[in-house]
Amino acid sequence: MLQQPSEPRLTSEATLPPSESRLPQPPRQGWKGWMVGVLLAFILGWSFGGVQFDFKELINGAPQMLDMFQRSIPPDISTLTDPERYSVPEELAVKDLLLPVPLEGDLGELKERWWRNTFPNTVLGATIQTIQMAVAGTFIATIIAFPIGFLAARNTSPSPILYHIIKLSVNFLRTIPDFAAGLILIAAIGLGPFAGTLALAFHTTTVLVKLFSEAIENIDPGVVEAVTATGARYPQVVSFAVVPQVIPDFISFVLYRFETNIRAATVLGLIGAGGIGLIMNSDFRMFQYPQAAMSVIVLIVLVMLVDYLSARLRRLVI
Amino acid sequence: MDLMIDVQGLRKAYGDGDLILKDVSVTFAPGEFVTILGLSGAGKSTFLRCLNRLIEPSGGSISVPRAILEDASRGAGAGEMVDLAKASARELRLWRRRVGMIFQQFNLVKRMSVLDNVLSGTLGEANLFASIFRSFPKAERERALRNLDRVGLLDQAYQRADTLSGGQQQRVAIARALMQRPKVILADEPVASLDPKLSVQVLDTLKRVAEEDGITVLVSLHVLDLAKTYGDRIIGFQGGRIVFDGKPEALSDNEVERIYFREGYEHAPATQRTTAHV
Repeated sequence: MLQQPSEPRLTSEATLPPSESRLPQPPRQGWKGWMVGVLLAFILGWSFGGVQFDFKELINGAPQMLDMFQRSIPPDISTLTDPERYSVPEELAVKDLLLPVPLEGDLGELKERWWRNTFPNTVLGATIQTIQMAVAGTFIATIIAFPIGFLAARNTSPSPILYHIIKLSVNFLRTIPDFAAGLILIAAIGLGPFAGTLALAFHTTTVLVKLFSEAIENIDPGVVEAVTATGARYPQVVSFAVVPQVIPDFISFVLYRFETNIRAATVLGLIGAGGIGLIMNSDFRMFQYPQAAMSVIVLIVLVMLVDYLSARLRRLVI
Repeated sequence: MDLMIDVQGLRKAYGDGDLILKDVSVTFAPGEFVTILGLSGAGKSTFLRCLNRLIEPSGGSISVPRAILEDASRGAGAGEMVDLAKASARELRLWRRRVGMIFQQFNLVKRMSVLDNVLSGTLGEANLFASIFRSFPKAERERALRNLDRVGLLDQAYQRADTLSGGQQQRVAIARALMQRPKVILADEPVASLDPKLSVQVLDTLKRVAEEDGITVLVSLHVLDLAKTYGDRIIGFQGGRIVFDGKPEALSDNEVERIYFREGYEHAPATQRTTAHV
C-alpha cells in the first residue's frame, strides 16, 4: 500500500478549511468608494450646471444645424480646382511661377508678389502655409528645447539651482496657451503667418522641454555610471550615455508635436495668423458655407495625411 | 612592497543610515587577481565603487600611486601616493582613466555599435570636441578592433550592441575596459546575469587579458566555486567588514560559514542607486 506523504500538513486545495475565517481577507474600504462616488457626482453636477447644459437648446438648434449642413452641400470644389481662383498674372506662365528659376526685373517682382500675397489666399496656398507654419514652428522649438532639456533634467543638470530655475520658469511659460501667445505676438509684430509661427514655436518649446527632460530622467543610470567610470567628462557622458538612449523618444515627441501643431496652426489662423484657419473663418463669416465646407475637408485630409506619415516615419527611425 | 591600492579605515554610510562599510583596511599589489565574496548587501559593490569614487566614501583613505595618474615611468616620483578621498576633480579623472569597470548589467549603450561602445573606453583621453561627435583617431579605432579581437568578437564590431548575447556583451565591456590601458579593473558581479557556461567564458577572458597586460583585477562574485577557481586571493565581506583575506586554499568551511551565515546579519539598506548623476 502506498504510504502517505511524510508531511501531510502541506495544504492542498482540498484541505482548506470549510470556513474561510482563517484565510487572509482583502482589506475593506467600502466607505472610501462611497465618498469618491458622492464627490464625483457633485463635481459633475456642478460642472454641467456651470456650462448651462441644456438638451432643449440642443434640440431647438438642430434644425439650424441641419440647415447649415444642407447649405454647405455640395462643398465648393472649385475653390481648389478653378484656375481663376489662383489669379495667375497674364504676363507669367504657370511654369515660370512654379519653377525656382529667378526672373528678371518686373517679372521677378510680379512672381514674388504672387507667392507672397495671392497664393496664400487660396485654399491650397493657405493649406501649404499652415503646413509651413507647423514645420518652422516645430523646428525652432526643437532646436531651442534640445539643450534646455538637459538643463531641466535632474540627472544631467550641471547645478541643482539652475535645474530648479529652469524647471520653474518653463512650467510657468507652459501655462500660456499658444493662441494667447499668438494674440500677443500679433499685437506686437502684426497679422500674418510669422506671428503664428513664433507663437507655435514658443508653446512647443515649453512642452518639448518638459517631455525631453522627463525622458532624460528615465534613462538607464548604469550606462551613465559606466561612461563616467572611464574618466569621461560631462559633455562626453551626455553624448555617449544619455543622447543615444533618448533619441528615439525625442523623435517621437517632435513628430507628435508636429501633428499637434498642424491643428494649432489652424486655430491660430482664426485669430489672424494666416493659413487655412483664416480662410475658413472668413468663409463662415460671409456665410459661404460650400467654400467653408471645402476648407474643412481639405483640413481633415491634411491632418489624416500628417498623422499617417508621421506614424510611418516614426517606425522608420526607431 | 609595491602597492597599487592602499585602503585604510574606509567607511561609508548612506545618509544618516547604518554604515555599509565599517572600517575596511586592505591593500592590493600590482597584477593581483582578487575575488571578493559576500552576500548581497555585504558591501562588495559599495567597496568597489569607492575605489574609483563613483560612490563618495564617508571616511578613511584610498591611496594610489601618483605615477599612474601622471603616466610617469616607474622611478619618477617613486612611491608617492595620492589619497583619492582628497584628490581634485582632475586627479580623480586621471585615476578613473586607468581603472576599467565591469558591471553586472554590462551597461553598454544598446543603440550604439559594438565598436563605438569599445571606443567609449578612450573618452578620458580623447579630444573633447571630436569625441562628442563620435570621431576618433584611426589609431584608436585600430586599437579598439584589436581589443575586440582579444575578446573574440572582431566579427561583431559593427553590429548594434543589443543584438549580442549577454556573454558577448560582457566581453565587449571587457574590451571597453581594455581601451583604458587600465592598471586596475573593478568587476562588480560580472557574471551574475549569465549562465554557468557563459560565466566561465567571461571569467576566462578576463583572467587571460589581465595576465597578458599585468592588470590588477578585483572581481566580486557570489558563487564560491568561481571565486576559488579564479582568485589568486579571496576577500570575504560580511556586514560591511572584511572577515576573510587569504589564499583560496586557506578558505575553510568555517570561514565560508562566517562570510555567508553569520548570525546577526542584517539586511543593508537598498539605497545604492536612484538616478545616475552625470
